[in-house]
Amino acid sequence: MKNKSQKKLEQTISRRFLFLSLLKGSIIGTIGWKLFDLQLVENRKYEKLSDNNQFNYRIIAPERGRILDRKMRLLAGNMDGFSLVLNWNKHLNVHQIIENISAIIILNEKDINNFYNKIRYQKNNFSKQILITKNLSQKDVAKLAVRIIEFPEISFSMSKRRVYPQGIIAGHITGYTGPYSKNIENNALHGIDVGKRGLEKFFDAQLRGEFGRKRNEVTSKGYVIDSQIYENTKPGLDIQVSLDMKLQAFAVERLQKGNYDLVFVDSKNIKNQISKLKNFSYVSKNYVYINKKKKVVNPQSGSLIVMDINNGEILCSVSSPGFDPNIFSTDLEVDDWNYVKNNSRSPLLNRSMAGVYPPGSTIKMAVALAALESGIIDYKTRFFCNGSKEVGTSKFHCWAKDGHGNLNLMEAIEQSCDVFFYELGLKVGIDKIALMMKKLGLGQYYDIQIHDRAKGVVPNIEWKLKRDGLNWSLGETLNASIGQGYILTTPLQLVTMVSRIANSKFAVNPSLKMSSENKKFKMLNINNEHLHFIKKAMEKVVVGKKGTARNYKIGSKNIEMAGKTGTVQVVRITELEREQGLIKNEDRPWEKRDHALFVGYAPTINPKYAISVVVEHGGSGSSVAAPIARDVFKHLFKL
Amino acid sequence: MNRNTNKFSSETIITVFFSKLLKINWIIIFCLIFLGLVGVASLYSAAGSDWHPWARNHSIRLIFGFCLMFVIAFIPFQFFMKYSVLSFILGIFALILVKIIGSGSVQRWISFGSINFQPSEIMKLALILILAKYFDHISKIQLNKLIPYIIPILIIMIPGFLVISQPDLGTGLTIILLGLSILFFVGISMKFVIFSILISISSVPFIWQQLYEYQKNRILVFLNPEMDSLGSGYQIIQSKIAIGSGGLFGKGYLLGTQSRLNYLPEKHTDFIFTLISEELGFLGSICIILVFCLLIVSIMKISFKVESLFSKVVAFGIGFLIFLYLSLNIGMVCGLLPVVGAPLPLVSYGGTSLLTVLIGVGMVLSINIHDKKM
Repeated sequence: MKNKSQKKLEQTISRRFLFLSLLKGSIIGTIGWKLFDLQLVENRKYEKLSDNNQFNYRIIAPERGRILDRKMRLLAGNMDGFSLVLNWNKHLNVHQIIENISAIIILNEKDINNFYNKIRYQKNNFSKQILITKNLSQKDVAKLAVRIIEFPEISFSMSKRRVYPQGIIAGHITGYTGPYSKNIENNALHGIDVGKRGLEKFFDAQLRGEFGRKRNEVTSKGYVIDSQIYENTKPGLDIQVSLDMKLQAFAVERLQKGNYDLVFVDSKNIKNQISKLKNFSYVSKNYVYINKKKKVVNPQSGSLIVMDINNGEILCSVSSPGFDPNIFSTDLEVDDWNYVKNNSRSPLLNRSMAGVYPPGSTIKMAVALAALESGIIDYKTRFFCNGSKEVGTSKFHCWAKDGHGNLNLMEAIEQSCDVFFYELGLKVGIDKIALMMKKLGLGQYYDIQIHDRAKGVVPNIEWKLKRDGLNWSLGETLNASIGQGYILTTPLQLVTMVSRIANSKFAVNPSLKMSSENKKFKMLNINNEHLHFIKKAMEKVVVGKKGTARNYKIGSKNIEMAGKTGTVQVVRITELEREQGLIKNEDRPWEKRDHALFVGYAPTINPKYAISVVVEHGGSGSSVAAPIARDVFKHLFKL
Repeated sequence: MNRNTNKFSSETIITVFFSKLLKINWIIIFCLIFLGLVGVASLYSAAGSDWHPWARNHSIRLIFGFCLMFVIAFIPFQFFMKYSVLSFILGIFALILVKIIGSGSVQRWISFGSINFQPSEIMKLALILILAKYFDHISKIQLNKLIPYIIPILIIMIPGFLVISQPDLGTGLTIILLGLSILFFVGISMKFVIFSILISISSVPFIWQQLYEYQKNRILVFLNPEMDSLGSGYQIIQSKIAIGSGGLFGKGYLLGTQSRLNYLPEKHTDFIFTLISEELGFLGSICIILVFCLLIVSIMKISFKVESLFSKVVAFGIGFLIFLYLSLNIGMVCGLLPVVGAPLPLVSYGGTSLLTVLIGVGMVLSINIHDKKM
């Protein structure tokens, strides 16, 4: 028999039993609800997080398109390069690993510093690949590969390195590539190069192709256990440009040589001289140029452009001194950079397109055309040159001290008489001259496939008023008439001017693209007879008895060139100096010497190519620039 | 009791054996085998489709545990009653011993050669037994006043705080919760219950000060796992990702990415349920929880049916213990509770909790067989 209290206990226990069962049921229910919430309601969110854990995506760079010249020679291509990569995670003893690697191969100190910087600036602790070095030789790879078992954390990656087989010859045209972003945190785009200058920059979109993506499966420690291509890359397109690298190579050499002589570096005297020069450039490893006085000199600086006058294609575009774009393909060495950056002759400047020079006498065709078009003079109008012209209180000199005597327009161009053009300038006025210059292509940008460019200056009355708030003076017209003073042109503008004169019909524009179809140019709208006359005068410059370039005829039966020389004063010569007798060009310091210019075209019958040569501080246009132009034409026509 | 032995003595051992075997609750056995197999399969997956190192050991332990359970099931439960005090004293002794010679900075284990033994787990069983015996004994005199509860509270608190000081907050609290639930079960007055709940809530700040830094951290991180997404919060975040990404049907057996790529810490022990949730999805997880529920309900049913208070309390205690294991473990991995070390018995890798549950269930089975009301 159960007593009363036991019965009561049994009742209590039953009640409590029920109560506890309900409690347990509700707790289990809560857990079930939580699982429901996590797995069904918020499933998408957690699936995404899980994917983020499982995979990381890396961008794969497509193979960059090549740049080819008109005969399919390679201007820019790709070469296999090997990179060494550390699969970093926070548990690694990085110093130890680097030490061990250094025991096997030699690591560049700069690479190591960069590497440590990257590690130091890790924002989070997520494991990732960090580049150790990009410049691994095949030999290094082999040495490391056999001992790879000791380095489970490192891996190789084959990358494409940009190469420019033409090197220094066409650095300004090809340009170079560089890393996408300076921000080293941007790991996704790490190691992807984009065009930074020149054609590489202009055609970057086409050359680059389309990025692919790689999907890596990674463990929590950051080991990649599986990797597959997620999106395929699309290689970049090849770009063909109108340059002829054979001509370009010849032109570079010819321009840099000028009138110098090539010598082998052997004598003590030469070595001595070299050691005293700063920023000296050899021609090649053991050769240097010497001038007529047997002094070692730098190669000539300047520009040389050859352009097809019918379709505007540029066959060669030289800017000296050049730079080798290959130095930017690997990690830029400090020495290389300092050389191009601090060199007083600024190798990075693309003189052909962004260098501005006073055109000197090469502008005289434009002045003559302006005069003829305005009807102020005709072919027979004569002026007398006694060596100088006085306007107001100033005296303007002709290059020939004793004057040219009485001459007409044809003779004035042939002999490049300054006084004749002073008279013309005074009669025509600066505004009409400026208008003609613009018509011939000066003072404007061209739609050319290189971003570095300059507009130059074609001054007129309004321009001066706007710039200085001053009135135009007659003396300034005289200066402009012989291409001095305010007027500034780029070599590209000069060659375009000559092309338009030679073409006589269309206002051709320069282009580096191959023209698959005939381009449509605007009409030039200059009286053809006048142009014909000017062309005859330019022929006379070369073939005429008194022509300024008479010594540098091509001399072939069928092909002769026509042109115009120009010698540009870079420092003002005072009356005093003139009376004391001029210091010879060669005796002045390099920076104070005259620029030597020549513009021209060939052949004289059915012209095909135009040329402009600028030799910086080279001396006189007739003795320095004209022979260069002649030799380039000879090469071009295979004479 | 005497009648019992007399009756059995007239029969052969074999018939005794078979009659006992027939009385075994086969639903419970089914649940245990099912859960054990789930454990083996999950550990096989956790090791990356490998029997080594966990799945094989777990199988061996399961077999050993099952044998032990059957042996215990055939022992009349009066035997446990007799030795309950002794087992409790031995348990306390072991807990003190572990404080002195325990291995590792966290003194939870006693090592016998290669076998690590965790006395705090066995303590749970001893506690159930001694409380059952105490109340069984006391009920024959009186029960209702508060005085008889003083001794059991001491019995609960001594091992409880010994374990907490190991330090093992999770197990310690489990022991205390288990003990208190038994007090509640046998009818401690509601007033007292409400009073002690108020006391314990008001003592939270003092307990907080007593906690170790890592324990405080765990609780803080539980409240806001993103606070330390790479440190202590990492576990719970990754665990939730694994569970959540499982979805309805899961990623497939052996295909859980979170576990395969090692984003789940402790995936073979306390976080094994995460792996199951990831690979088998909501359906799989619920299925396992339901089997646990079935096990608990079956044990509770026995507790409800049996005659003596001792049997009632023991069965209830074992059932509640399994419930505590289950809810603490799953509550922890799905972010409902802070991360306290709480295994999922039979499934997660670890011998002591497995043995505790199997021995416990063995006693329940024995009660089921030997209680005369059945």
